[in-house]
Amino acid sequence: MSLKNKACIVGIGSTEFTRNAGRSEIHLAVDAVTAACVDAGLEIDQIDGMSSYGTAGIYAAELAPDIDVARSLGIPNLRYFGQTPWGGGASCGVVAHAAMAVASGVANYVVCYRSLKPASGTVRYGRPTAIPAEYRYSYYMPYGFASPTMWVATMAKRWMHETGATREQLGYVALVSRENALRNPRAMFYGRPLTMEEYLHSPMSSDPFTLHDTCLENDGAVALIVTTPERARDLKQKPAFIAGVGFGTSYDSHSMTSFYRDSIGLPECTEAAREVFRMAELTQKDIDVAQLYDAFTATVPMQLETYGFCKYGEGGAFCQGGDRIRLGGELPINTSGGMLAEAYIHGMNMIAEGVRQVRGTSTSQVKDAQNVLVTGGLGVPTTALILTQGN
Amino acid sequence: MSIEYNPKYMKHFYDPVWENFEDGFWQGIKQRKLKFQKCSGCGTFSHPPRVRCPKCKGEGWEWVESSGKGRIYSWTVARQEVHPAFRVPFEIVLVEMENEPGVRLISNMVDCTPEEISFDMPVEVCFREVTKEWALPMFKKVGG
Repeated sequence: MSLKNKACIVGIGSTEFTRNAGRSEIHLAVDAVTAACVDAGLEIDQIDGMSSYGTAGIYAAELAPDIDVARSLGIPNLRYFGQTPWGGGASCGVVAHAAMAVASGVANYVVCYRSLKPASGTVRYGRPTAIPAEYRYSYYMPYGFASPTMWVATMAKRWMHETGATREQLGYVALVSRENALRNPRAMFYGRPLTMEEYLHSPMSSDPFTLHDTCLENDGAVALIVTTPERARDLKQKPAFIAGVGFGTSYDSHSMTSFYRDSIGLPECTEAAREVFRMAELTQKDIDVAQLYDAFTATVPMQLETYGFCKYGEGGAFCQGGDRIRLGGELPINTSGGMLAEAYIHGMNMIAEGVRQVRGTSTSQVKDAQNVLVTGGLGVPTTALILTQGN
Repeated sequence: MSIEYNPKYMKHFYDPVWENFEDGFWQGIKQRKLKFQKCSGCGTFSHPPRVRCPKCKGEGWEWVESSGKGRIYSWTVARQEVHPAFRVPFEIVLVEMENEPGVRLISNMVDCTPEEISFDMPVEVCFREVTKEWALPMFKKVGG
């Protein structure tokens, strides 16, 4: 018994990505779910499951809870509802849970969504307010060690020291993302090119990161609809099959502060990679395009290593010059612009882009893309998906 | 140079909370002693503390006072404001303790500029008073 190809993504929907959406998280979620239903050719009342995620345990309570979104949509009943923890690390797991729900018959049409407005709302994800009640923050907050950028910077700096990766190599991740965004009218950075000169001369926010190494801050929501292949036949779109799912925590996992392992890195990804490739019965060579969670530039080459596209210490060189990761290269990445240049929707927008690649409708389409790897957030327990044509 | 705080926010940021199994660490801090959890069964150190030893699954822990000596394992320098409670720039160091294998500690330096910090630089613990109730373990250069 395997989950392979037992579920597929049949609808994707999104709001505009903006600095000020002018409406609440619940409203944004309602709009994205509606768009996903229209895309799929599904009536809203057919939705009978919701899989979502937030930042409980890191920041404030969830601001677009499933029952509030369902209530505003007028959905009569949710036969399945579930939340996945650990912020962006959950993104692909949210879809994995939806796949499990439809494959097991618990629900028929599960909507996955993420809605957030850090640009204009009350909860700004990069900003602390005080020591949260969770005990683990007492080891960090009193020292001013209080933002995701600082946490990941500390990890990335050690990784750069151990591997010899350079700022310029990280710069190519930012540049390639920006190139992709220039072809994507939805992207926050559409029409705003970036040069290596600008990248290298941008002031440090938290060493070794500048603003160009960290993701966007924007408002918006993205929703996806998951159902079974049988039901997908009656819907409008070519389905993106969920060939593999992977979860990983690895040993001594903390939320963004896993500083106590033999070697700082992303061992969660190594675990998630093993699971996702095993289920999909594919190898790294089979992947045509990857959407690698990019809240920070450095975690892209770190994932190239931990997802097995190169050896430890080679991720920086893989990105050098950008040719291997740009459109036409050996592993094009983050073809919508990713979270560095399209929008920060906690990875849900990167899954939507994975679906577009399978459909053949990306603004940076990889020719004949058969197999797409999508990954979840880093420095936290993480999740991954392989989306395919289902052949 | 050292981290500087805006007193307005002291209560928000300097009022640690902890679980029962971490009590030894924070009681040690109150006495200005840096103590780490050591498994009385197999000698494994753990920081932050845990309920059971990850190696032998025992729940017998000793709280051992550290020599306080360590080396810089990684660091970052906050140059853009994170929160008005902390005046930038300030540095965060991740110190690998010399005598407690596997133990690393996040802290600040008290006596050097961000530019002076380097990988493997030897440091030792000192306590800096941050509120009336709390002095926290921070680090200074060895011989500094």
